[in-house]
Amino acid sequence: MFSHLLKLMWNKRRANGMIFLEILLAFIVLFGVYSFILYNLERYQSPLGFNYENSIGVRLDFDDEMDSLTVLKTQERIRQDLLAMSDVEAVTWIGPVNPFGGSTWQTSSDASGQLIQTQMMFVDKHFGDAAEVEMMDGRWFTEDDLRGKYRPIVVNREYKERFFPNVETIVDSIAEVNGEHIIVGVTNDFKYKSNFAENFPLTFYPQVERMDNGEPFEMMIIRLRPNSLAEVEEPIYNLLVSATKNTDVVIWDMAKDRIKANRPIVIPIVILMVISGFLLINIALGLFGVLFTQINRRRAEIGLRKAMGATPREVTTQFVMEVLIVTLAGLLLGTFFAVQVPILELMDIPGKFFYYGIIAAVLTILLIVTICAFLPSFQASRLQPANVLHED
Amino acid sequence: MIEIKNVSKAYRTDTIETLALQKMNLSVPSGEFLSIMGPSGCGKSTLLNIMGLIDEPSEGTVTLAGQQITDYNGTRIARFRNEQLGFIFQSFHLINDLTVVDNVELPLLYRKVGSKERRRLATEALAHVGLSNRSTHFPNQLSGGQKQRVAIARAIVGRPNIILADEPTGNLDSRMGDEIMDILLKLNEDLGTTIVMVTHDERMAKKTHRLVRLSDGERVS
Repeated sequence: MFSHLLKLMWNKRRANGMIFLEILLAFIVLFGVYSFILYNLERYQSPLGFNYENSIGVRLDFDDEMDSLTVLKTQERIRQDLLAMSDVEAVTWIGPVNPFGGSTWQTSSDASGQLIQTQMMFVDKHFGDAAEVEMMDGRWFTEDDLRGKYRPIVVNREYKERFFPNVETIVDSIAEVNGEHIIVGVTNDFKYKSNFAENFPLTFYPQVERMDNGEPFEMMIIRLRPNSLAEVEEPIYNLLVSATKNTDVVIWDMAKDRIKANRPIVIPIVILMVISGFLLINIALGLFGVLFTQINRRRAEIGLRKAMGATPREVTTQFVMEVLIVTLAGLLLGTFFAVQVPILELMDIPGKFFYYGIIAAVLTILLIVTICAFLPSFQASRLQPANVLHED
Repeated sequence: MIEIKNVSKAYRTDTIETLALQKMNLSVPSGEFLSIMGPSGCGKSTLLNIMGLIDEPSEGTVTLAGQQITDYNGTRIARFRNEQLGFIFQSFHLINDLTVVDNVELPLLYRKVGSKERRRLATEALAHVGLSNRSTHFPNQLSGGQKQRVAIARAIVGRPNIILADEPTGNLDSRMGDEIMDILLKLNEDLGTTIVMVTHDERMAKKTHRLVRLSDGERVS
């Protein structure tokens, strides 16, 4: 029966050209959408590597005339005053690259004979605890580390795996990036840009690196007791204005910042899903229409097949199979084009997402086509041969 | 053997009931070539459809090859039609998107017959009606007489015991009609196939073993 249907569909190839084209285009669109969504879904599911909940970000402005020692003393006094507040659990000073802030600093070096490209964050010795950073090796740097021969740095897992994949540990090794530093710890995955950010090599430098340029930290992350932001925001603001003698203090909720940082990916995903939804509805309605018309034109053939001994189930199966054959032809050609993307590495996304995208698009289209083909085919199977054979 | 007992057929709409057959009784012994004649609308085709199990009687029973069919379900009726009955229609009803030989294979698709065996039987049936050289043609490349010969090949390919022909020469000129009639007569003689033929052509009817006339849904002779 299958070879018979193949032959029939081949001979009807012109009539089925539009369905074939519709399936092919739908597959290509769905393949792209699914690949994009699946890729971002996996990135979303991978951990940020730190805790942003119940935390606020603060930006303030120190007087440019203050010397570095005064700045350090003021920073510590502010920190202690904040920690004295009952709703404040942890405080850490950070440099110009803050989580979800949208800015990126990057540096590269081949001083050690290997090209190392890493993003940079500048943080203090409290950052590891305040942001609850997950460590996979070593520890966060301390005051003692800052007095050592080499300035301390902490790197993330991606740094270790990309540049030193075969080394058991890189803790206590010297890294020649932005000067010579000693690596004291390795964090787990750390994505500070958004949930959808890729894991990229990252190095945490201490404040002293910024102080060299006369640019002390002017941002903080303050972790609060749960649900205390509304009560504590004003006292914190007043404290900071009083300490810096400057009203230029900005406070923001890091959870809201995270949502904002995710938007550049979430919005396209929603738009693509809506477009794909309409596309699928369009395909479903189109298929319904085409199948009802085709089956209406083939009423005599249905009557004939039933007269020749086809059971209602065989008639239903035949029409569903016919549509599936055209669909599979479209999917086959679409898959041929789609697999070129990972094979030729046309995009900077791991190949597995394109293969998942192909599978998801094929399954979606097959499901929709089968559902849409079933109803007209079932109706065709109920036709009475005596009636339709005499319509000609 | 075909046995029609007290068969009536009524077509109902919301307001009208039309009686196409009334208490019809008819017996066709195995191997007989029977023709049915009558004016348009007298119930000839309805009777043929009921004999061919593609329509159900409103009342009465149909017995084919010793089996009373009235109580059969749809699938069983379909299987019975496939194995025991062959159909020939006035308008041929060939599938234009299939070649001649694929059209002839059609009844065998609904049996467990392998593709090679299907092809062999279809080729044999085409040889029987003298169309071996047209097997790869499409129906729209054939004349009316050739199309009807393909339809006959399709009707006999499954070796049915009974062939039901609804005005098989109705769309053909007299020469082609004679050719088709000769093939049917030969089938009846050589293979002993029972044939029931509806016709408007008295000349064709006279060539058969027996003629039954209908009028207003009733048998008049």
